[in-house]
Amino acid sequence: MTPDNNTRLNRRDFLKRSAVTVAALSTGCAAKKKRRPTNRVIIIGIDGMDPRLCEKLMSTGQLPNLAKLRQSGGYRVLGTSIPPQSPVAWANFINGAGPGSHGIFDFIHRDPTKQVAPFFSVAKTVQGEGYWEIGDHKLQLDFWPFSHKPPTTVLLRQGIPFWDYLDEAGICSTFYDLPSNYPPSPSKYGHHRCLSGMGTPDLLGTYGTYQHFAEDGPVRTKDEAGGKRSMLFFENETATAQLIGPRNNLLKAPEPATIPFCVHRDKAAKACVIEIQKHKILLKEGQWSRWIKLDFEMSLPALIPNKHLMAICRFYLQEVSGNFQLYVSPINSDPSDSALRITEPPEFIKEISDRLGLFYTTGFQEDHKALANKIFTDEEYRIQAGMVLQERLKLLEYALENYDDGLLFFYFSSTDLQSHMFWWDSDLKHPTRSAEDAKNCFHHIHKLYHKLDSVVGDILRRYGDKATIIVMSDHGFANFKRQFNLNTWLRENRYLYPPNSTGILRNVDWSRTRAYGLGINGLYLNLKGRERDGIVEPGEQREQLLDELSARLEAVRDTNGERVIVKAHRADKVYSGPATTLAPDLVIGYCRNYRASWATCLGDMTKEILLDNDSVWSADHCADASEVPGVIFSNRPISAGTPALVDIAPSVLTKFGLKIPPSMQGENIFVM
Amino acid sequence: MMSFLAHIVTWLNVPLNAAGKLLTAPVAAVPGWLSNTVISAAMGVILLVLWKYTSNQDAIGRVKDDIKANMLALKLFKDSISVTLQAQGRVFKGAGGLLFHAIRPMLVVTVPICLILAQMGLWYQARPLQPGEEALVVMELNGNVDSAWPNVSIASMPAADVIIDQTRVFSKRQIYWKIKARENGLNNIVFQVDNEQVEKELAIGNGFMRVSLQRPGWHWFDILEHPSEKPFGPDSVVQSISIKYPDRLSRTSGTGWWVAYFFVASMVFALIFKPFLKVRI
Repeated sequence: MTPDNNTRLNRRDFLKRSAVTVAALSTGCAAKKKRRPTNRVIIIGIDGMDPRLCEKLMSTGQLPNLAKLRQSGGYRVLGTSIPPQSPVAWANFINGAGPGSHGIFDFIHRDPTKQVAPFFSVAKTVQGEGYWEIGDHKLQLDFWPFSHKPPTTVLLRQGIPFWDYLDEAGICSTFYDLPSNYPPSPSKYGHHRCLSGMGTPDLLGTYGTYQHFAEDGPVRTKDEAGGKRSMLFFENETATAQLIGPRNNLLKAPEPATIPFCVHRDKAAKACVIEIQKHKILLKEGQWSRWIKLDFEMSLPALIPNKHLMAICRFYLQEVSGNFQLYVSPINSDPSDSALRITEPPEFIKEISDRLGLFYTTGFQEDHKALANKIFTDEEYRIQAGMVLQERLKLLEYALENYDDGLLFFYFSSTDLQSHMFWWDSDLKHPTRSAEDAKNCFHHIHKLYHKLDSVVGDILRRYGDKATIIVMSDHGFANFKRQFNLNTWLRENRYLYPPNSTGILRNVDWSRTRAYGLGINGLYLNLKGRERDGIVEPGEQREQLLDELSARLEAVRDTNGERVIVKAHRADKVYSGPATTLAPDLVIGYCRNYRASWATCLGDMTKEILLDNDSVWSADHCADASEVPGVIFSNRPISAGTPALVDIAPSVLTKFGLKIPPSMQGENIFVM
Repeated sequence: MMSFLAHIVTWLNVPLNAAGKLLTAPVAAVPGWLSNTVISAAMGVILLVLWKYTSNQDAIGRVKDDIKANMLALKLFKDSISVTLQAQGRVFKGAGGLLFHAIRPMLVVTVPICLILAQMGLWYQARPLQPGEEALVVMELNGNVDSAWPNVSIASMPAADVIIDQTRVFSKRQIYWKIKARENGLNNIVFQVDNEQVEKELAIGNGFMRVSLQRPGWHWFDILEHPSEKPFGPDSVVQSISIKYPDRLSRTSGTGWWVAYFFVASMVFALIFKPFLKVRI
């Protein structure tokens, strides 16, 4: 922090101090006597922190602060969700209850009435209603007499989040980067603040789309999973290109808004100058720019001023002299003038930005797609992920400075998105790296754990005697060596037809198909009365089929005889609550080293049922819940023997003296 | 003609810079809103006096009386369409007359306003670099795309480090550097361009300093806009050197806003003093 920042009084402080002064003056300092006793709970959510690795590193003294918590009785393995996917797990944390309460069962759900129409499970965009056509544009005017309804993004998570109970009781809660909460749920009483995390899109409406410009790129911009590639053509060492921005939905034929930019390279200097809007950016090879503010102009009919969406991005100059390569980060919403509603209250994001400047606002900040698509090398990804962590540590500092009492939640994604790419704790051959590289990468994960341990140490030093501190993860990690294609297995075992089917979204004979897989862990029956073209009769036929599928799936063995699936959970036995409509019928719990194949997620089939994972994404947690539990550490002794994610919300409510509501399935885990 | 104008502006800048440094020196010591308000107030009054003596006050008075009379006619004879239309026509004619009488004083005050704004811009348009902060330095060269490139280098200096050395933009005949400020003070960056040495001011410090964004080339408007440093001659290999200083963030004395504040505040003060100085506008 700069000295200036340390001496600055922020708005919250100012308002609070002013209010206290006024109250004190008007009541003769009675306010001080009546004030509720200070109660503090700090939760540090470390996505994907694994108990096995923690225990190994604690035993070798590499996590001294977490080890200290363990010694004082504040450590347990934390039961995760079924399935152990982050949106499901964090929603369990939020509701203090399982998926039956919040209705999130996988990253991907399907609409049964449209016979397998997949959609993202956490949020969806509802199309607007009505518009006024003018030339090439269609305008939605949301005021009388037009009263058109503009498109809106809706949070699909159901049930009551635990902060609502705190809010109602007048207890402040602030969440930073909270997953499974985009757009952020509103605060009824004004005591809750939240910055949305995982699930927050970039301005292209995706979870993060980088843009890559290279001399050997494709002439026409080519989309790839998580990115776009384009060609740069240099003439007199200058090239022009277009940065692709948000889609202009005000056009009858929507197309993306773009910003032209120029790149001037100097091969001898191994540097380039980028000119974009009013910015001139000088970068040397291997250098990142700061966040650059961009103004995407969305055209409107003549005489109506154009709409402007403010965005931010960073440029990274990868190579100058050989094949010129320039990476542009996903187009994030500008936190100082956000086009997306990513905080509750909406002005919270501006307050943060006024202090911290510009930072990533998308939910997935580490650009793992760039590594998976070989845009980044391991080292480049490590640097980018390191920059994300530095930004988040500054945000944590801001969070702690602005925290007085109530609940503070802070989330780190680093452990999850770096473990997916760098975790490998086996002597078996890594999918893409040499044994030495794999070892070095895994060592980086050790260092990351050590870094986060020191962050926890800092918080303990500052708040150890003043607050209940909880450090927790939503799940652990496991190698991802082999992939299992569920739909191929179903096809080969004559549950899915025709025998030459290649994907459930392409060529399936629904009149004969009894079951299909979608998402990472979900298996659905083609159930009559639920699926549009359902054929499996509810009742006995359904029961028999589920039992048969469970037994046969659990019996699947790999070519070397290894078990593939720990358990195929019957949803009607593991889920309870009012939000089970979209639940799969079976949740496939894979063994360590195994996961659903890449193709399975959207229903594609491969020739083989079991095949090697060939991706740099070499570790995962979408296994069986028993294989990848999370961790919980606290500076207060934990009395529960086998705590789970659903227990944290009830424990927090209990800490604040509130009753555990009947909608919650968890219990208090602390000594009363 | 352009070269003649460039000479005139260059000559004018010499005394103006001396006077500007002296008269606006307190800007460095007081808050920006205060200094801009005081300068705006003083300029409002001075420009009002200039207006008084460069305009035809009698003629303006007559036109204004005529407008008043026609406004009265509009009120009294609103039932008569012919009188109303005639009065409206005369009001418009009067407004046109006022504009006509404003041309001469406007032309006269434009020159001092431009010169004063250029001096004020040195203080308010950007803030100096702070130690540790980075900035781009851009040198524009004479010639065309095919011209030979001179050997250019920056002499090492205690005030700043060069963190990205010269990067040429071939299509624009520009050279970029990135520097990092180290020590507070008003310094010079010394460039060796072939056998010639050229300099550019570099302002590092906190608060208010005279910040010259550009050492201009031989163009009268650039010289007017950037008065602080001696312009490069028309035959010089170097045509300009600019530094991308950070914006000053303030609604009264910050980048972009200070000009609007100056105009509003000087007008307010001019209107306040108008009755005392008996000026007709």
